[in-house]
Amino acid sequence: MASTACFIIVSRNDIPVYEAELGSAVKKEEAAHQHQFILHAALDIVQDLAWTTSAMFLKAMDRFNELVVSVYVTAGHTRLMLLHDSRNEDAIKSFFQEVHELYLKILLNPLYLPGSRISSSHFDTKVRALARKYL
Amino acid sequence: MIEESPDSVLPSSVVGQYASLFEHGNTTEVQLLSDAGQQRSQDSREIIASLRRSCESFHRLNAPRSAAYCSHRMAREYFTAGDFDNAKQFFDGVTGLYRQEGWISLLWETLGYLRECSWRLFSVKDYIQYSLEMATLPVFSSSGVETSDGKRAYGPAGPPTLSQRETIQQEVFSLLKGHESELSSGLIIQDDQPTSLTVDLVNPLRMAFLTSVAFHSQTMKPGLSALITVSILSQLPHPVEIDQLEIQFNQPSCNFKVVNDEEFFAKEVKEENHDTHLKSIPSLILTTNKWLRMTFEISSGQSGKLECVSVNVMVGHLFTFCCKPESPASMEVLALWKFEDLMENFPSKDPIVSFSGQKYIQVEEPEPQVELTLSASSPALVGESFIVPVSVVSKGHAIHSAELKINLVDARGGGMLMSPRDTEPSSLGDHHVELLCVSGVFEDDSQSNSDDIRKIQQSFGVVSVPILDIGQSWSCRLEIKWNRPKSVMLYVSLGYVPNTETNSQRINVHKSLQIEGKIPFTISHRFMLPFRREALLPPKVTALPDVHSKMRLPLNERTILMVSARNCSEIPLRLASLSIEPDGNQDAVCSCSVRQSGSVSFGPALIVPGEEFKQVFAVTPQANSPNIEIGTVHLKWMRDSNPGRHSNVVLMKQDLPSVSVETPILVASLDCPPHAVLGFPFSLYIKVHNNTSLLQEINYTLGDSQSFVFTGRHTDSVFILPKSEHIISYKLLPLVSGLQHLPIITVTSVRYSAAMNPSLAATTLFVYPSEPYFDIGRKSELVQAS
Repeated sequence: MASTACFIIVSRNDIPVYEAELGSAVKKEEAAHQHQFILHAALDIVQDLAWTTSAMFLKAMDRFNELVVSVYVTAGHTRLMLLHDSRNEDAIKSFFQEVHELYLKILLNPLYLPGSRISSSHFDTKVRALARKYL
Repeated sequence: MIEESPDSVLPSSVVGQYASLFEHGNTTEVQLLSDAGQQRSQDSREIIASLRRSCESFHRLNAPRSAAYCSHRMAREYFTAGDFDNAKQFFDGVTGLYRQEGWISLLWETLGYLRECSWRLFSVKDYIQYSLEMATLPVFSSSGVETSDGKRAYGPAGPPTLSQRETIQQEVFSLLKGHESELSSGLIIQDDQPTSLTVDLVNPLRMAFLTSVAFHSQTMKPGLSALITVSILSQLPHPVEIDQLEIQFNQPSCNFKVVNDEEFFAKEVKEENHDTHLKSIPSLILTTNKWLRMTFEISSGQSGKLECVSVNVMVGHLFTFCCKPESPASMEVLALWKFEDLMENFPSKDPIVSFSGQKYIQVEEPEPQVELTLSASSPALVGESFIVPVSVVSKGHAIHSAELKINLVDARGGGMLMSPRDTEPSSLGDHHVELLCVSGVFEDDSQSNSDDIRKIQQSFGVVSVPILDIGQSWSCRLEIKWNRPKSVMLYVSLGYVPNTETNSQRINVHKSLQIEGKIPFTISHRFMLPFRREALLPPKVTALPDVHSKMRLPLNERTILMVSARNCSEIPLRLASLSIEPDGNQDAVCSCSVRQSGSVSFGPALIVPGEEFKQVFAVTPQANSPNIEIGTVHLKWMRDSNPGRHSNVVLMKQDLPSVSVETPILVASLDCPPHAVLGFPFSLYIKVHNNTSLLQEINYTLGDSQSFVFTGRHTDSVFILPKSEHIISYKLLPLVSGLQHLPIITVTSVRYSAAMNPSLAATTLFVYPSEPYFDIGRKSELVQAS
């Protein structure tokens, strides 16, 4: 598993609907609380790059020190953003694809209001399991 | 030796990276600041300078979030360096973006820094504002952020958890109630400086105090009460006890305060007089995400719009939140709580009020207790000063400071009482309908006051009404003149004050009346030839048909002009006189002589609707001219009023068309006695006068008739010398009595091929069977057959 990983799902309205710290190593005190700031700042680049390609997986489109920001954009313009130090692109892509499927199942729930926060503990457990598997 | 200087710092080449340029001998090295550079460069000003340049670059690249991150870093550098003013300024700049995009964790951290800066700067209001906003953020215990045994460093406010929200709330409310706590030590609200915060529609503190005001109805009567529901919603994690609410309206007399029952009874005991503006409810405690609904009765004595402008929430006795109330019908949801899983509840139990209630209500005007009467018994007629009586009777209100406003408006729309074609300068003063005056305002001058208003214009008037006690009455007369037939709406408004109190409201009474303006008489005229006389005028040769061909009259020959006046109105009228007056042009007076047959003054003749009055005139042109004005018909009429009641005489004028006068070529006349007696012969003369300077040949014929025998030629021709007359005579013997037709007479001018045929009436004669004798009573005239 990657030593550092912060995962956020941002809705099409630029509002985060899911956040999770998925790293296994001890975080650097001065950088740990910067993760969400970095991911938020990376949205500007995603905004430009997303419309230049038809691919969903945008790979590593930003970096901060040794951390890399990888993004996966769904058809509904929901962005799955991962801040990590792993270099295994295939594994990261597989992680995004599996999480995307989980997200689709959340959307299929008629009681789920699109754009609202994902509070399902089952979803959270699954995402962390996928992180352990692929990152 | 590695040289470092502020100028050696280059703009970042990768997002979030900052590089320093170092000279190493003859080469240049780029080293990341985040690595050894940052550790080496302890000067915050260097970092801030590089961050500022990065921020500006990102702004130019239209990357606001990256720029916001740089601003956040700059603010933290200022904070670390102890420059809290600048730190607060930059943190303020980025919170808007995080708030707008709903990044709660980032907003929490930034607000934590702002709260800390406010504390360091001893800014109580800002400290309270940031603290309350943090306490109302949708942050819960399991927000998805994994804590790792305290190794994670957060901002000054700590991790975004529910317990932190509760702690912050407790701390800030202790401050509001005047208690000093360890966390906010050094911050107190001065007793002599009560503070307030305004919570408007865009303030983030809407999450702490969301106020809704709704009237249960849309209108209310003045003096009567209406229900109003005031509701408050809070997202603070702990219940909030409010000390006092103050509800303020645009009519300050309606303002009231709300306290809990305990406080209310304590005030009642302390004060001698009952404060009608103080209301009580059992409990003023706000529970999280649950509307505190309060319904009150409110009344207003002033008509107009009554709107709630502020709901002031007082917590402690030194701090007030001035909340701008919202109508449930147009209330915006809390943006940050929009997608949270919350139990939905409404500001009122009544769903109609919850979805369509408004924070304002229309207070109707008080019912007037004064009767205003307009009456018009008949339609108005063009030319007369039509009187419309107006009466004011006090039924239950005394009348003070009263004004009567009169307005005339075209009933068919448009508003103008004159045609747009009439807007030339010469006709601007000629309104179709105009208000002349208001008479009978005061019976004598002693009742009038120098302050009284009296302003009359063509279509608008204002007059003062004297003071009237209950039961008294007053009246006046409006004189309105119609210059054209038009239907108008007469609007009369009486505005008065029922008593002499200074704040007494003005009451208005309105009345309207549609009045038709009609033409009283239509005047027509007809030219007729004299009896048994006909003039032959020169033939008119023109290239084109003359559309506006004028009537042609013979010079120095009398022509009969019959003028008819028909009553077009619906009421009987009295016709005083009908005459033809010259235009005033001296030349016109001499060129045409007009004589009225019969008596000039025949007295007011009663003309019923539809009846026609005819007057005969003899017109003798005395000048040869293609354009001669005969004159103007002057018709004087009046309404048929009751005997003894004087009616005004109205003059109606109509111009007669001009005529063309020419010298006749031949004038033929038939000279015959007015009647005959059976068996007694009489003479018939045909006189033909030649007015030309040429010899005129005429042919004349006399046809056979079964009623008469005559002597003379049936057909003949004769030459008439210039300027002379020729007489053709016949002797006729009537064979049958009764109304008989004379033999048909025809006189033809050979030169002009024109025949003159007498009319049927001119050739009709009554034959008596014997010598008649007439006795017509006291009159001395006796008609006897000669």
